Amino acid sequence: MTDRLLQNLENLQKIFYPQSLAVIGANKVKGTVPHDILDNILKADFQGVVYPVSPRETFISSIKTYKYVVDIEDPVDLAILVFPSSVCHMALEQCGEKGIQAAIIISAGFKEVGENGLARERQLVEIAKRYGMSFIGPNCLGVINTDPRCNLDASFARQMPEAGPIGFLSQSGALCTAVLDYAQAKHIGFSKFVSFGNKADINEIDLLYYLRDDPQTEVILIYLEEITDGPALIRAARDVIEGSGKPILALKSGRTAEGASAAASHTGSLAGSDEICEAAFKQAGIIRCADIEEMFNNAIALTYQPLPQNDRIAIITNAGGPGVLTTDSAIHEGLRLAQFSPETSALLRKSLPKTANTKNPVDVIGDARADRYNLAVSSALKDEGVDGVLVILTPQSMTDIDTIAREVCQVSSQFDKPIYASFMGEADVASGIDILQRNRIPHYILPESMCRAFAVAYRFAQSRDRRRAPIANLQVDSKKATVILEKAVAAGHKILHEHEAVRVLELYGLPTLPGALATSTPEAVAHADRIGYPVVLKIMSDQILHKYDIGGVHLNLHTDREVESAYGDILTAARTHAPEADIHGVWVTRMVEPGQEVILGLKRDRAFGPVVLFGLGGLYVEVFKDVVFRVAPLFESDPEEMIREIRSYPILAGARGRESLDIVCIKECICRLAQLATEQPLVQELDINPLIVHNQGCFVTDAKILL
Amino acid sequence: METTEVHTRVKAVIARVLKMEAGQIKDDANFIFDLGADSMQSLELVAAFEEEFGIEMDEDKALEVQTVSDAVDFIAGYLMD
Repeated sequence: MTDRLLQNLENLQKIFYPQSLAVIGANKVKGTVPHDILDNILKADFQGVVYPVSPRETFISSIKTYKYVVDIEDPVDLAILVFPSSVCHMALEQCGEKGIQAAIIISAGFKEVGENGLARERQLVEIAKRYGMSFIGPNCLGVINTDPRCNLDASFARQMPEAGPIGFLSQSGALCTAVLDYAQAKHIGFSKFVSFGNKADINEIDLLYYLRDDPQTEVILIYLEEITDGPALIRAARDVIEGSGKPILALKSGRTAEGASAAASHTGSLAGSDEICEAAFKQAGIIRCADIEEMFNNAIALTYQPLPQNDRIAIITNAGGPGVLTTDSAIHEGLRLAQFSPETSALLRKSLPKTANTKNPVDVIGDARADRYNLAVSSALKDEGVDGVLVILTPQSMTDIDTIAREVCQVSSQFDKPIYASFMGEADVASGIDILQRNRIPHYILPESMCRAFAVAYRFAQSRDRRRAPIANLQVDSKKATVILEKAVAAGHKILHEHEAVRVLELYGLPTLPGALATSTPEAVAHADRIGYPVVLKIMSDQILHKYDIGGVHLNLHTDREVESAYGDILTAARTHAPEADIHGVWVTRMVEPGQEVILGLKRDRAFGPVVLFGLGGLYVEVFKDVVFRVAPLFESDPEEMIREIRSYPILAGARGRESLDIVCIKECICRLAQLATEQPLVQELDINPLIVHNQGCFVTDAKILL
Repeated sequence: METTEVHTRVKAVIARVLKMEAGQIKDDANFIFDLGADSMQSLELVAAFEEEFGIEMDEDKALEVQTVSDAVDFIAGYLMD
């Protein structure tokens, strides 16, 4: 941890648990932010001393008001700034003089409004640094801590949420108010609720570490608009999950592709910022959600009930159709229907009506009352082959919805296995749903959402305790590679000559083919004789990027005469199609047997740094886009996971009785490429397309490096 | 018009709009931070200065003026023109 992070964590304690606070810029005008913040603090019954600070008022809400924060005689832990942006720096300077170490800057009018605002924001950062202060904001909704020891609502949200296990962090203040409203209706409670706005000082990394150690927080939800330090976010998320076991759910805006079409390499065009973000979250163990509803669906599953130990579910329903729908969804989400033990089956057969279906999904039939639900749910939970129960209810004339809801809650309290429920409908089931929600039974309107949430909880339980070590470095000759790259950059090259690119890869231990540059026909023949037939000839010119398209590549040449002829044809083709091109010569290399073509690549992302790509290669890479990404440096498990994640993995693993391809060799190539990505910052983009994979061994047959 | 007269009349306008004693207003006082002017009162001040001195000011630039002494200089500039 850096000194700055440690200082921010220490100061965050003062933000969440201040003994005293000052609202600087408060006023008496109802409906304004400065008034409503003070009002919320008072209404929430803050367990500390409040000092309003206002240049002109002598009291606000019957509380003595100070002209300046430095006029307050007693120490102040936290300053909440609601002044206009033009004078926030003056207020913060006085906070520093007063010895206040923590602030929340609510005011807008900073980075988000342009250059002048950015300058004002930098001024705040400079003041905070000078005084050893930390602040949240500016341009934020504020901070809420529901812990009854503090009861802090330093926000201008409409209502203080219920206390609960969720720590919520948001870059958007407006989203916060919507989330609070959504959560209130579902009795979802929060431990800490933070709108961190422009994150000029305290950012999501600081807050993740704080919530890791916060005993009231069981799950962390975060909404992000921009990621400034991707690698730090990945490290922080891993530290949180491995250190505390708390899941992190993220909603990240910007799913649309940006600028990918202009990229000069396959990797560049395939690795849009969102794909990289998706990959990075996966590496970090962050559960990415598509929308607010999915985020809370998952959050309640992860916190209200025990995590599933395995994926075998029992479905208890009073209607056949929803039971089938739920079964379909469960299978689709990768869950399994539990096989009941003979004892469970016998008990269900004995106790349920003859018309009931006692197999999983169990249909207790339409006239079921609470006793029948109780029996079926209890029996399933007692069965060692069942890891969780999904309860479905459809409202029928004799269905006692509220009693059944209470019965489900009561049974749930007796078992250490998860129960989720879906009371289908809206008006008739509303009171039953309310009972479930108040008693921490995750409830979902749609069985599909319920199954998805169960699967998320199951996968999190599986991955949570897995420690991920970074990959150890392999032996490579990075210094020689750096020399080649630096020379090319000094010469103003944007693309490395292919023979130089091959050399760089060779120095990193990637399986390149022997080759040599020929500048005459006899030289080409001599190289071919030395390398051994069959060979390939390729034109070498910076101006000719698509060598195949202009007839600049001749494959599978077996004799000296074929090489002579190909050499001439290639030069003629080049002069015809690109008469202005500067031709360095013809690259002579060995022809390899056909094999499965895969692509390896790397790209530098603004937020996450070096990113490695793997996928199905050759001609199909752009068509199928069957590729996966990881941020370098990789964890030990990443190469294997990357290979298994592509849809075409069965082809590599030996589909339909074919022998498996050399996956060990691909894994080593991924490791070496990831090392190159972290050690050679001059490489902006790199394509190995294709890497030809055989049953034993693989070969780089085409390489492009962009500087 | 003498600067001292501008100075006196500026403070009188501020005192009237912000409902305070002119004697309490220091030259280096910041309209928002020290005198507690809100956004509406800032607009009222600009209008009152224009009326007091019979000038028409660039409103955006006028609202950027932070302190009493800066306001005196800003208005004096218009009067010289």
